[in-house]
Amino acid sequence: MMVWAVIFGMGILVFLNRYVFLEPRLPVRLSSNARQFLGFAVPGMLTAICGPIVFMPDKQLNLQWDNPYLLSSLVAIGLVIYTRNTLLSMLLSMAFFFLLRWWL
Amino acid sequence: MPLSLATAPWGLLAGSMAIEANLTPLQGQGLSTIVFAGAAQLVAIGMLKGGAGVFSILLTTLLLTSQHLLYGMSMRHVISPLPGRWRIGLGFLLTDELFALTSQHDRQQFNRWYALGVGLTFYIAWNLFTLAGIVLGSSIPGLEHLGLDFSIAATFIALITPVVRNVPTVVCVAVSLFCSVLFSYWQWGSALVLSGLAGMMAGFVCNKLYRERT
Repeated sequence: MMVWAVIFGMGILVFLNRYVFLEPRLPVRLSSNARQFLGFAVPGMLTAICGPIVFMPDKQLNLQWDNPYLLSSLVAIGLVIYTRNTLLSMLLSMAFFFLLRWWL
Repeated sequence: MPLSLATAPWGLLAGSMAIEANLTPLQGQGLSTIVFAGAAQLVAIGMLKGGAGVFSILLTTLLLTSQHLLYGMSMRHVISPLPGRWRIGLGFLLTDELFALTSQHDRQQFNRWYALGVGLTFYIAWNLFTLAGIVLGSSIPGLEHLGLDFSIAATFIALITPVVRNVPTVVCVAVSLFCSVLFSYWQWGSALVLSGLAGMMAGFVCNKLYRERT
C-alpha cells in the first residue's frame, strides 16, 4: 500500500516538475539566484548518486586500486574527455568494467 | 533511435532491482509507467528497500528531478503556446534525453510531432526494458550482483564530465562527491539529498564569489 502511495506521489511530483513552466498562465519567474542554484542541479545531484556507487560497493568504503567501480569510473572520465562522445564513453567504460570484474 | 538503447541497462536494472526490493512486478512496472524518471526510480527503489519513509523518498524525488524545472523553463517558449493536450503530453515525456535532442530548436524548427515521436520512443523503450528486467529479475536470482549499477555511474559520469568546465562546477562536484561518500559511510537516510544540496550550494556560493572578483 505504501509502495503505491510512493509511486503515485512520485509520479505527481515528477510531472509537476516537468510541467509547471510549460503552463502559459503561470506568471511567476524564477529569480536569477534560484536559476543559478538550479544550474548546479545536474552536477550536484548526479555526482551525489555516483559517489556511494563508485566508492562504496557492497556498502563498504573501498579506496583500493582493485575496486573495479573506481577504476572504471576513471576510465569513463578519461574517455569522455578524450572522445567527447557520451554514448561511446558509456558503452566502452561499461565493457571495461565487465571485463575487469571477470578478470579480477 | 540509438540513444534509446542507452536506456537498456537502466531499464533492466530498474526492473530487476524492483523485484529484488520485494516490490510486486506490477509495482515495478508501475514505477516506469507512471513516474518515468530513471534516476528517481532507482533511488526510490533503493530507499524503499532501506526502509526510508514516504516523505523522505518524495523529497529526494523532488530534488532529483528538479533539473526538469530548468528544462521546462527553457522549453517554455516553444511548448507553452501549444494546446493543453500537447503541453501535458510533452510535459509528461520531457526527459533528459528529449531535452538534449530538442532544446536547440527555436520556434520555427521545433516540430511537435518530432518531439512526441522521440518522447514516446524513449517511453516505450524504457518500459519494455523494465519489463525485461522484471522478467529476468524474477527468473535469475542475483542479477543485481552483476554490477549493473555501474551503468548508472557510467551514464552519470558521461553526463557530468562535459558540464565540468569552470571552477564553481568543480567545487560543486567535489563537495557533492565528498559529502555523498561521507554521509553514506555514516549511513544517513537522506545522504543523497543532503550531499547534492551541499554541492549545489557550494557551487552557487563559489559562483557568486568568482563573479565578484572578475
